[in-house]
Amino acid sequence: MEDSDNTSSAVEVQNVSKSFGETAVLRDINFKVEEGEILVLLGASGSGKTTILRIISGLETQDEGTVTFHGRDVSELPARLRSTGVIFQSYALFPKMNVERNIGYGLRLRKRSRDDIASRVNELVELVHLEEHRKKRPSQLSGGQQQRVAIARALAYEPDVLLFDEPFGALDAQIRTRLRREIRSLLKEINVPSIFITHDQEEALELGDRIAVLNAGRIEQIGTPYEVYMYPQTGFVATFLGAANILVGTFDSGSFRSGKVVVPLSDSTESFREGQSIKLVFRPEDVFLRKPDNLKQAFHSLSEAVVEEVSFVGAFERLQMRLETSEAQRLIVTRPKTETAMNPLKEGDRVATGIVRFRILPNFPLGSETAGKIV
Amino acid sequence: MSANLSRLRHTHGFDIVKPLSVAVLLLMMLPLILLPLASIFIFGMSAGIDKFWDSLTAPDAIFALKLSFVTSFWATVFNLVFGLFAAYVLARYQFWGRNAIIVLISIPTAIPTAVAGFALLLLWGPYGLLGQYLPDDYRIMFTPYAIILANIFVTFPLAFGVIMPVLETMDRSLEEASATIGASRWQTFWHVTMPALRGAIVGGALLTFARSVGEFGSTILVSGNLSGRTQTAPLYIFAKFNEGQVEAANAVAIVLAVFSFVIFSILFFARDWLEAD
Repeated sequence: MEDSDNTSSAVEVQNVSKSFGETAVLRDINFKVEEGEILVLLGASGSGKTTILRIISGLETQDEGTVTFHGRDVSELPARLRSTGVIFQSYALFPKMNVERNIGYGLRLRKRSRDDIASRVNELVELVHLEEHRKKRPSQLSGGQQQRVAIARALAYEPDVLLFDEPFGALDAQIRTRLRREIRSLLKEINVPSIFITHDQEEALELGDRIAVLNAGRIEQIGTPYEVYMYPQTGFVATFLGAANILVGTFDSGSFRSGKVVVPLSDSTESFREGQSIKLVFRPEDVFLRKPDNLKQAFHSLSEAVVEEVSFVGAFERLQMRLETSEAQRLIVTRPKTETAMNPLKEGDRVATGIVRFRILPNFPLGSETAGKIV
Repeated sequence: MSANLSRLRHTHGFDIVKPLSVAVLLLMMLPLILLPLASIFIFGMSAGIDKFWDSLTAPDAIFALKLSFVTSFWATVFNLVFGLFAAYVLARYQFWGRNAIIVLISIPTAIPTAVAGFALLLLWGPYGLLGQYLPDDYRIMFTPYAIILANIFVTFPLAFGVIMPVLETMDRSLEEASATIGASRWQTFWHVTMPALRGAIVGGALLTFARSVGEFGSTILVSGNLSGRTQTAPLYIFAKFNEGQVEAANAVAIVLAVFSFVIFSILFFARDWLEAD
């Protein structure tokens, strides 16, 4: 156990593992959520993120590990005694109860007085701006309104933590963006610790104070959105959170080397040994394309590349290129319109490439990560 | 030009097939369903309303109707409770033999009602498998209890059959949400599961009750068909018809027909209201 401090986190998940039959769904999951913090569990379907949420809420039991709320061990408590507020993807509003009765359900179960319930429900109806809809049934409300009822219903009994299960999955893209801003500001206003699960990286970046990236039942990295995006610690995180190019090469006298490409590495190379297989990871927006004569030295130049495909993706241009390394590597580059106008390119053009920012990671031979694969 | 015409006919023009097919449909139903029903009312009223009223208020007729409704009521109560319980267990838990139980529950629909009555006699009758051991005071065959047993048997799967699919397709997250909010299993069942089943429960009850009231085949075997003691309304109709008292039979038949019609209307129209969110 770690040394006990008096300031315990709102939620702490320690060494949690879970298998369904023979398949391990979660392996040694550890994280904390502080008071008022929003943590996003980001992962593809099957990564185990829903299972974590269900274990925290008590709807599923872990095989190993503990869950504590404000230092209180709730690992063995059934869901009803845990005091979590779960916002289900389908919202799970009780269809035969109107908005007020849905919100007051937890208070009625706790045998609060009529007056107490009425005033608390009133407060919450105002908080989530549903004054005009208080007598309506869930089926008469829009998706966003239903979601607000679900949040108010969970807040009513002052849970230790709010758990959101893919809360925007059932909504249109436009509404989704608006709602997640609304919900983030609401959560910041009420200062309740919250855990979101999502597979949408944009949602994770915008919602979370911190992001935990899950892959195959393990947490690959936890950090602020900036940290996770700018300094991915694994190839999976780099490709799952935003697009990334990955070049595989070897560590060769302080440099990354892959065929003609040599990128000198300045620091944090102590852990590599000579000849070790390493990966050069960089974002499509960090690649610059210049005609050979005006490629400046400030870039780490790669090699020449041939444009294979040019496509337009709204605000920017996306190029697929073939890099002239030892084996031909594919490369994805995105450029803003300003640069597209200055330096137009078409299929078959040959240009020098350079990168302004990159990460070097050890290359573990995982089947899922093929060299130069763009996810 | 012709393509244009046929397009007109299908979208704007008068399509003769529509009224024609509806007419054929009604014409087919007329001798098979509508006329037999109409004749009950035509014959029943032909002797005048007074005669009809006298036949209906004959003590044996009133007794028969009452007996039918009371025995059906208890059979309905039992099968509703059982159906709800069985549906909940079978919808919630997966276990070895689950499908076999579902088939077993549904078997009575496939068994001829006379066979059902006969089977009950062979079990509970004076010389039956278990009946022979019963003390004389507790012989249940040829009493109203036998009628309830027969009704339970023939309507066994009905309430279950209506409730089960609703439970199976119910969004599980409703019950999970209730649990995370702090409800015990019983509170969740009462506040969340039951309201979702309201329509199915009312529907299953009406179906069971209507089917029980009309039961003939099994009842005639187990009840003894004693006028004023164990004679239900359908048995009364049959007995009076055999005795040549057509008016007496007809009066009770009208009551049963109207009753069925009312139940059906409730089922048909109240369904939306009961299941509305």
